[in-house]
Amino acid sequence: MQEEYKKGILDRLADFLVIALGSFINIFKRDWKKKNKSKMEEWRLMLYALNRSPPGLIGVFLVLVFIFFGVFGPRLAPWPYNYFPFFDNGTAYLAPPGTQVYLPSHETIMSLHLGADHYGRDLLSLLLAGARTSFVISIVVIVLGVPLGILLGLIAGYYGGKTDELVMRITDMFLAFPALILAIALSAVLPNRLQAFISSHAHLQSFVLWLFGLHMREAGNLGRLLSVILAMIIVWWPAYARITRGSTLTEKENLYVEAARAIGLSSWTIMFKHILPNIIGPILVYITLDFGSVILMEAGLSFLGLGATPPIADWGRIVYDGTQFFPKAWWLIIYPGLVVMLVALGWNLLGDTLRDILDPKTRRSIEFKVKKTKKMEEKEGEENA
Amino acid sequence: MKLEPILQVRNLKKYFPVKGLFFTKGHVKAVDDISFEIRRGETFGLVGESGCGKTTTGRTILRLIEPTDGEVIFQGKNIMELKGDEMKWFRRKAQIMFQDPYSSLNPRQTVFEVIMEPVRFHGIHVDDPEEFVIKLLESVGLNEMHLYRYPHEFSGGQRQRIALARLLALRPEFIVLDEPTSALDVSVQANILNTLKDIQREFGFTYLFISHDLGVVKYMSHRMGVMYLGKLVEVGPSDEIFEKPLHPYTQLLLSAIPVPDPELAKELKAKRMKVEGEPPSPINPPSGCRFHPRCPFAKDICKKQEPPLMEAEKDHYVACWLYSKA
Repeated sequence: MQEEYKKGILDRLADFLVIALGSFINIFKRDWKKKNKSKMEEWRLMLYALNRSPPGLIGVFLVLVFIFFGVFGPRLAPWPYNYFPFFDNGTAYLAPPGTQVYLPSHETIMSLHLGADHYGRDLLSLLLAGARTSFVISIVVIVLGVPLGILLGLIAGYYGGKTDELVMRITDMFLAFPALILAIALSAVLPNRLQAFISSHAHLQSFVLWLFGLHMREAGNLGRLLSVILAMIIVWWPAYARITRGSTLTEKENLYVEAARAIGLSSWTIMFKHILPNIIGPILVYITLDFGSVILMEAGLSFLGLGATPPIADWGRIVYDGTQFFPKAWWLIIYPGLVVMLVALGWNLLGDTLRDILDPKTRRSIEFKVKKTKKMEEKEGEENA
Repeated sequence: MKLEPILQVRNLKKYFPVKGLFFTKGHVKAVDDISFEIRRGETFGLVGESGCGKTTTGRTILRLIEPTDGEVIFQGKNIMELKGDEMKWFRRKAQIMFQDPYSSLNPRQTVFEVIMEPVRFHGIHVDDPEEFVIKLLESVGLNEMHLYRYPHEFSGGQRQRIALARLLALRPEFIVLDEPTSALDVSVQANILNTLKDIQREFGFTYLFISHDLGVVKYMSHRMGVMYLGKLVEVGPSDEIFEKPLHPYTQLLLSAIPVPDPELAKELKAKRMKVEGEPPSPINPPSGCRFHPRCPFAKDICKKQEPPLMEAEKDHYVACWLYSKA
C-alpha cells in the first residue's frame, strides 16, 4: 500500500487519450467536458490500471493486431485466397515454407514464406484472408446473440414470477444440450434453406460477400458459412440470459429502482436506463472472453468439416485439410493453430484485465496512490525551492 | 383546528404469500386491515418495532406494492384504480424518501441527471435546467459545485439531501419519509430533520413519517399512529400520546426510551411495565387482540375478540378493550 505511483510513458499517453477524446466529444456536445469531469477521471484511472497489468497490455496488443488484420487482412494478403498456382504449374503443391515458385503466367516469382497448401495456395495469404472470416463471424455472433440474451435476461429478472419461469425454462432447454453438439446439429440442417434465402436476396448476398471479402464465385458457398453463424447465435444467447437475469435480480432490489418507480418511469426505461448500466460491467468481461470462444468454436466447427468450404479461407478449415498431410506438411497445422491460439489468448487476457479495471476498488487504490505521489512531489518541490 | 384530509387509508391489507415446495403455505399479514387519515400540511408519524408493517404501509399507500385489499383515497381519488395519465399525476403529487441513502441513488447518474430525470419525465417546463437544479441543491444545503458529481463522491447525509432534492423537483404535496435518518449519525440526523421541517413550512408539504425512533417522531410529527403486528393500535395527537399513552403496547414502547439521568432511570425502571416475550409471528398472529399474550392487563375478551379502533378521547383513538365503554 505504501508504494507510490510514478507516471510512465503509457500513463502520459493515457492522459493524452482521455483529454483528446473528451475534447472530441466536446465539439459535438456543448459543455460535455465540464459536465463529465468525474467520468473522464474514471476513464483515466481505468487506463492507468491497464498500464499496470502486463498481461492486459499483451492482450490489448494481440487483440489490436487481430482487429487490424481482420479489417485489412484480405487487402494486405500478397495473393488472393482464390488464386491457385497449382493449375499454372504443379510445383507449388504442398511447397514447404520459404519456397519460391516461378509463375510463367504472371512472369513473376511467388515467395511462399509459410509454405503452400495442397492446392498450392500461399498459406500466409490464406491466414490473412482467414482473419477477416474469423473477425466477421465473431462480431456477428456477439452482436446478434448477446443482446438477445441480455434482453430476455432483463425481462425475466425484472418482471419475475411467471414471465421469469417461462423465459428461463426455454433458456434451460437450450442450455441442456452441449453447445457444440447443438451447433453441429444446426449447422448440418440449416445450409440449404439459408442458401435458398440468400440467393433470392441479391443485395444481401453482395453485402455478405463484401463483408467476408469474398469473390462473387463463392455465392454458392454462403449458405454453409451463414449456417455456422446462425447455429452459434442460437447456442450463444442462453448463457447471457442467465447471467443478466442473475444480476438483474440483485440489482432491482436497490432502492434507486424503487425511486424510479415512484417517479412513474416505465418498466422499459427502468430496465435499460437504470438496471442495465449497472450490470453491464460483468457482462462486458464475459463478452470479451467470448470473442475468443466464438473464434475457437468456429474453428472447431470448420475443423469438423462444417461451415466454410474451400476456397473460402478459414483457419479451422485449413487445419482440417492439413490433417491429411500431417506430419509431412506440418506448416498447414502449426501456423493456423498458432494464430487461433494467439487470438484466443489475446481476448482472454483482455477479458481478465477488464475484470480488474472495471472493479471500482482497483481504481480507488490507484487514485489513492496517484494523489499521494502528487502530494509528495509537491512537498519535495517546496523543499527544493 | 381540524384540517381537511389529504389522504385517507381505508381497510388496507397486504398479505405476502409464503411459498412452500408446491403450494402457498400461508400468508405474512404485514398490514392487516388498517384505516387512518392524514391531514393537509401535517406530519403523521408511524411508529412500531421492526417487522410490524410500517414500511409496507408506506409503500402500499404509494402503490409501489399492490395491496391485497382496501382503498387509499388521495385528494378524492382512489389511487388503487388510477391508470395512465391519472397515475402519472399521482406519481408527481406523492413521493417517497428512503432509509438507505447508499442504494437510493443510481451510481451511474450524476446529481444533475438524478434531479432532472423526474422533471423531464413529467414534462415540467424549466427555462434553464442548470440553474433550476442549482436552486434546488441550495434549498437542501448543497451547492453548484456538486452538480456534475456521482453519488460515490458524497457522504450519507449529502446523498440523502440529493434524494430530497429529487423529490422537491416534482413539487409533490405528499411525501412518505421512510426512516429517512436512521442510517445517519446523530448530528447529520438533526440536520436533515431540520431541513425537512424547513421545507415543509416553506412549501406546505404533508409528511407520512415512518420511524422506529420515538424521539425523532416526537420532534417531527403532529399526529401519530402506533403499529403492532400489522395493526394500528393507537392514533392521536403526538403530544397527547407521549404524555398519556393509552394502549398498553404504546406504554411499553414509551417506557423503553432510554433516560440519560441514571437516578431517574432507576426510579422509572422500578415502575416500568413488566412485559415479556417477543412479538409473535405475523404468519399466525394470536387470536383476538394481537397483544394479549404479552399484555399485563389482558382480560378474557382480549383472547376472543379483536378490539376495534375506538375514540377514547377527542381525536385520540385506541384499539383496546380496556377503554371500551361496553
